[in-house]
Amino acid sequence: METFRLTGGPSLGGPEVYDVVIIGGGPAGATAALYAARAGLKTLVIDKGLTAGAAGMAGQIVNFPGLGPISGADLVRRIREQATSFGAQFVTDRVLRVDLKSDPRQVWTGEGFYTGRVLIIATGAMGRKHRVPGEERLIGRGVSYCATCDGAFFRGQEVAVVGNTDEAVEEALTLTRFASQIHFLSPTRDLNAEPALVRELRENQKVTLYPAAHLEEVVGQERVEGVRARVGGEERLIPVAGVFIYLQGSAPVTDFLEDQLPLGEGGCLLVDENFQTAVPGVFAVGDVLCRHLKQAVVAAAEGAIAAIAADRYLRGRAQLRPDWSR
Amino acid sequence: MPLLNEEIRREVAKFLEGIPRPVRLVMFTQEFECEYCADTRQLVEELAEISDRIVAEIYDFQADRAKAEELGIDKIPAIAVIGEQDYGVRFYGIPSGYEFTSLLYAIRYVSEGKTELSDATLKVLEGLTEPVHIQVFVTPTCPYCPQAVTLAHQMAVASPMVRADMVEATEFPHLAYKYQVMGVPRTVINEKVHIEGAVPESYMVAKLQEAVR
Repeated sequence: METFRLTGGPSLGGPEVYDVVIIGGGPAGATAALYAARAGLKTLVIDKGLTAGAAGMAGQIVNFPGLGPISGADLVRRIREQATSFGAQFVTDRVLRVDLKSDPRQVWTGEGFYTGRVLIIATGAMGRKHRVPGEERLIGRGVSYCATCDGAFFRGQEVAVVGNTDEAVEEALTLTRFASQIHFLSPTRDLNAEPALVRELRENQKVTLYPAAHLEEVVGQERVEGVRARVGGEERLIPVAGVFIYLQGSAPVTDFLEDQLPLGEGGCLLVDENFQTAVPGVFAVGDVLCRHLKQAVVAAAEGAIAAIAADRYLRGRAQLRPDWSR
Repeated sequence: MPLLNEEIRREVAKFLEGIPRPVRLVMFTQEFECEYCADTRQLVEELAEISDRIVAEIYDFQADRAKAEELGIDKIPAIAVIGEQDYGVRFYGIPSGYEFTSLLYAIRYVSEGKTELSDATLKVLEGLTEPVHIQVFVTPTCPYCPQAVTLAHQMAVASPMVRADMVEATEFPHLAYKYQVMGVPRTVINEKVHIEGAVPESYMVAKLQEAVR
């Protein structure tokens, strides 16, 4: 039996209120955290992991001013350490849903619930734009994006996992508890995941690894019957009952907003010169923005501007509030 | 050996202190052929120990068949969450893992007799002229599922025409098969409309209207 979890929510678990909650801990989010924390604001960053974003994944960054060639993960780690030294807190989690109207604003994650007076969205642009043929039609019919949720429905059956990140590898390892065989299709030759995880995946008898595999179609009438992929230039049809997809793309990550903010073309976020969105006190920075120059230094600068604007917003509000203690 | 650890007990006690009216957790069990009946019973009893606002009522599914029929209980383990009235809020299968949070929310909404649904949703619910049955299929390891369950349960509290069940899919394989559940949350409204995934309130309302059209 599963242990009992209290993931919290309004009036459950009585969460402490942060001044600033930042979603995404790449160069934009982590720099916003650095500036916010240094301004004395109680700051929380919620992030999926060091190598989950575009910068964290970059092999080498050679044009970040003042730093020599540095791996993307190292750059992000350094900014985070600097932010932490000023008191910012980081949690590793995935944001499922937000409520921008509430005061303070509410953020639900896989493992918890947080509230912040100001929200800064720095989720980047590694979302998927297009689904492959058959995928959308077969959601809930064998196409899944959550192995921890749905693994139990594939007991003793063959499944495919498509992706190359920590998340894809972890989910594949979860599936080894249920499925008879896991066909792991990595879009790249090498996996972009933690070495220890990759080792565990390679050593598992149930896993077959297909490097440089391009998913082309999910096949099936009423339910998933297989996946069609090009593996190293060769067409393959792999019969499976389920396919778990963790591919990345270049679309802004805004799905968790449901329809609370107006979106630009392609789902990007629109902001004013202070990086504030249409909802006062909600800011957005980095690659999630429309017409964005995808450079770490630009993202970092925007994080700084938004944090300073957030500080002003919070102080302005504090002044408006009557102080009954005097 | 208690199911709920000290830390969770403290949080739950604090949460239950805040509910305005007592809630009955009417639980149906039997001794054989029900893997999680004993644990579900113990969970309900532990919640009643934590707070005197929670009353545990335990019935035998076979021996107390009339009571089960009165509450529309057709499978076990089952929990009917009942306040000043029976709003039709049900849990089938053990609310463990992420669903424990759904149970606490259900207790709160039933106790208060009101919800956090939008005015637009309440208006649609007020206009209902025929019964609506919402079944939300879940697994305890699904972080997206409580959103769907809590939304459905709130609709049941808000409208006398709506009843809403959480159904733990792995405990009722015949239902998972019947409704072709291969991914969760999967919401089935009046046997004919299906929703995949945790969706915004407005989307669920649109689907509900489709089901009664």
